[in-house]
Amino acid sequence: MPDFSVVGRGVTRLDARAKARGETRYLGDMSLPGMLHGKILRSPHPHARIVGIDCRRALSLAGVKAVVTGRDLPPHKYGYLVQDELILARDLVRFAGEEVAAVAAVDEDTAQEALDLIRVEYEVLPAVFEMEDAMAEGAPRIHDVERNIASRVVINRGDVERGFQEAHLVMEDRFTTQSVHQGYLDPVSCITRWEDDGSLTIHGVTQAPFIQREVMAASIGLAPEQIRVIQPAAGGGFGGKLDQKVWVIAAVLARAAGKPVRLILSYEEELTAGRPRVPLVIDLKMGFARDGLIKAKDTGILADNGAYCSYGPGVISVASHRSDSLYRYPAVRCDAKLVYTNKTPTGAYRGFGNPQVHFAVESLIDRAAVELGIDPAEIRLRNAVQKGEVTIHGWVLKSCALDECIKQAMDASAWKEKRSRLGPGRGLGMACMVHVSSNRASYRPFDGASALVKLEGDGGAVLTCGEVDFGQGNFTAYAQMISEELGIRPDQVKVLPPDTSISTFGLGSSGSREIFIGGGAVRLAARDARRQLLNEASVLLGSSPDELEIEGGIVFPRGNREAGRSIAEVAREAVYRGRGLGILGRGTFDPGSELPDAGKYGNISGCYTFACHVAEVEVDPETGAVKVVDYVAAHDLGRAINPAGAEGQIEGGVAQGIGFTLSEELVSREGRILNHGLLDYRIPTPPDLPRIRPILVEEDDPVGPYGAKGLGEPPQNPVPAAIANAVYDAVGVQFRDLPMVPERVAAGLAGRSPKGRPGKGAA
Amino acid sequence: MKKPITLNVNGESHRLEVPVHRTLVDVLRDDLGLTGTKKGCDMGECGACTVLLDGKAVNSCLVLAVQADGRQVTTIEGLAVNGKLDRLQETFIEHGAIQCGFCTPGMILSAKALLAENAKPTETEVREGLAGNLCRCTGYVKIVEAVLAASGSPDQAGSPEQKEKD
Ligand code: FES
Ligand code: FES
Repeated sequence: MPDFSVVGRGVTRLDARAKARGETRYLGDMSLPGMLHGKILRSPHPHARIVGIDCRRALSLAGVKAVVTGRDLPPHKYGYLVQDELILARDLVRFAGEEVAAVAAVDEDTAQEALDLIRVEYEVLPAVFEMEDAMAEGAPRIHDVERNIASRVVINRGDVERGFQEAHLVMEDRFTTQSVHQGYLDPVSCITRWEDDGSLTIHGVTQAPFIQREVMAASIGLAPEQIRVIQPAAGGGFGGKLDQKVWVIAAVLARAAGKPVRLILSYEEELTAGRPRVPLVIDLKMGFARDGLIKAKDTGILADNGAYCSYGPGVISVASHRSDSLYRYPAVRCDAKLVYTNKTPTGAYRGFGNPQVHFAVESLIDRAAVELGIDPAEIRLRNAVQKGEVTIHGWVLKSCALDECIKQAMDASAWKEKRSRLGPGRGLGMACMVHVSSNRASYRPFDGASALVKLEGDGGAVLTCGEVDFGQGNFTAYAQMISEELGIRPDQVKVLPPDTSISTFGLGSSGSREIFIGGGAVRLAARDARRQLLNEASVLLGSSPDELEIEGGIVFPRGNREAGRSIAEVAREAVYRGRGLGILGRGTFDPGSELPDAGKYGNISGCYTFACHVAEVEVDPETGAVKVVDYVAAHDLGRAINPAGAEGQIEGGVAQGIGFTLSEELVSREGRILNHGLLDYRIPTPPDLPRIRPILVEEDDPVGPYGAKGLGEPPQNPVPAAIANAVYDAVGVQFRDLPMVPERVAAGLAGRSPKGRPGKGAA
Repeated sequence: MKKPITLNVNGESHRLEVPVHRTLVDVLRDDLGLTGTKKGCDMGECGACTVLLDGKAVNSCLVLAVQADGRQVTTIEGLAVNGKLDRLQETFIEHGAIQCGFCTPGMILSAKALLAENAKPTETEVREGLAGNLCRCTGYVKIVEAVLAASGSPDQAGSPEQKEKD
């Protein structure tokens, strides 16, 4: 691998100092003159007709400036992939927590008091909470679709029946995953303000400013360009800040009140009415040859959409086939259905359907390995896809270090010494994963990114682009790329958060695209700035641009540093000579991915990422408590731009995965979420976690900037299966339902064969 | 109902009239403009709002401002002395313990209180000492490293208030 001077080196995050001093401004730290505070009234019923709403008492409360209901608004629909929701409910509510009215008042307490004064008369309707019930004949229709099926994806490739006939071993099982919240600490929020010219300014965090404004524009009767989104610092997102319906509510409130409105969700609202992960029921059948090679796979998926679609259709599309490019599958089939229920709508969360399905597939493979008497690592190595191959769905693997990930994870975890050899109640489990770095199918017109790099008269640079750093650190990686190209220090680079009226178009932070795609554009913009810089310098220095070098902020004729001029000087000169325009590098990057066909065949991403995780667990046979005592996560990331940042992505993603696997679940009864606080919704705390050990497996990708690929989502994908497989190794029982909370594990252990290991059971 | 109180925040004394139900976090953030203290859950369950009250870490969303009357409050803004960062702030930066940063002020102040009581904690003690502070970004690995790296350094012994009196 070529060496770089800044890329791949330990560089301190640009924003770390301000954050450590408490100086960083998040949305909740901002206010505008005359600003009001918004609150939302939500339905207590999972399914009901709104007979009437009486807002008079709320309106007459001192300090209340506006009360808005669905009937005050034009019936425009809102929705990311399917426009199936109203900004505020008009006649029907479809989940407990649905937005029914909103208030703007001089302070939050008054707004809250006003909510209590609004009288809504409901006529309660029969509701459905289970997917099977929702699809049954005669079930109440939640939307006007057959059997409440919101969307369906069917995949059929290769001869699945023949594969099963030829198989030596066929395994079959049902796996279920639960609804979990993204758990960012900084709740969804915004400040909306209408400008004199009728346009709308929104200060707020979204992972995709340009897409969010496109989606919301029609619902408030504007063109996207009339909405200006300005992003403050962001306290996490993980998918949960892609869909920001709250912004639309704040916008209509601000219009009604004629004043700017700040609206911050309470954590209770986050947990009861956010856009949590889509829970799946996965019926999985796989056939294996005697040597462990996979012959066929057949999957049935039911996905619990909740009451509205949000990102659900995209999630089931991923769930239906993404994991198939991990191994050499000769034949796969999948039928995935997204089902409306009268529950909180679900949406995007790190992994986007992939962690759920990897849980099923990687668990079943482990059981097959035990049945066949093959080491679980070996069965994966035998099936693993390789660089240069085209997978069953047409994915072109220009780089792939899956084998290497497996080997390094084995070494680091002492797999050979420990697997099935640990004392009672202890075990080791492995799981692998594949992911994309962006996905052309997610935004059809464009799968690229763009960026502008402006050189400043002090020798620094300013980057603007439509990409988003919600905390993961890609902005520092961008600064490293610019620093690398221009020969300036990373801390001389300022990265501006997106402002849709200033930044060039971008798709934002989703699909693990920020390093691979966003970074691709940043590098090209920096190169363009460098080219312009050399041209300018060549005029000043009287030598041709290709005789010039840049080092330590100086541009000079090769071999003659003394004769050089500083970048600052050249940049300043360029401003005057260019009559103000100066050096402005432009970059656009498109990875050359392709739109899949109707059957989901096509090379949807410019590169693909792989990983292998090994978990070591301790299971308390009495209480059923599972403790992860060691965790190794080897990731094929092409190249780490900022190694500590990459490690941080892995550590954080694994931690979220451990929460998903062992403790987190939004528990609902009759459609109402019961755990509305962080004591009952259990995000892992420091004592719950081991010292997660990331391994960066670096093999340059030919397309990615400096060889880099995406890393945002991958770390969560293999976690549930790695832990389930470790528990299986420890106690001989494989758990197929998440989360593996102590009660569930204890119950499963109570019913097991006393033999323990090597188990074939499942619970 | 309002009540007059005196808050000593980061060595500065403030006389305020506050409603009796108003929480310390709101007074710090909204009345004193000290927005470095973060408000996450507002229910005492995430630790983002941690400040030091007479040197002890507390969730300021659970403390009423009137309860802090006459006491010493240290927020993240008060940790650096004459522009020089506290050792914990430095190690958090150096070890890559900060991602979105929303948990950071509370995390650093909890760590500060922990080290004041136990200058040389073990890794387990650090994890337990920070059990009330959630971080969703980092998996705590680098946070624990940063606290261990800061432990044992001279400026961590004793609470800031004690030092001021020395
Ligand atoms: S905001 Fe106080 S503990 Fe969460
Ligand atoms: S850094 Fe984001 S919550 Fe800790």
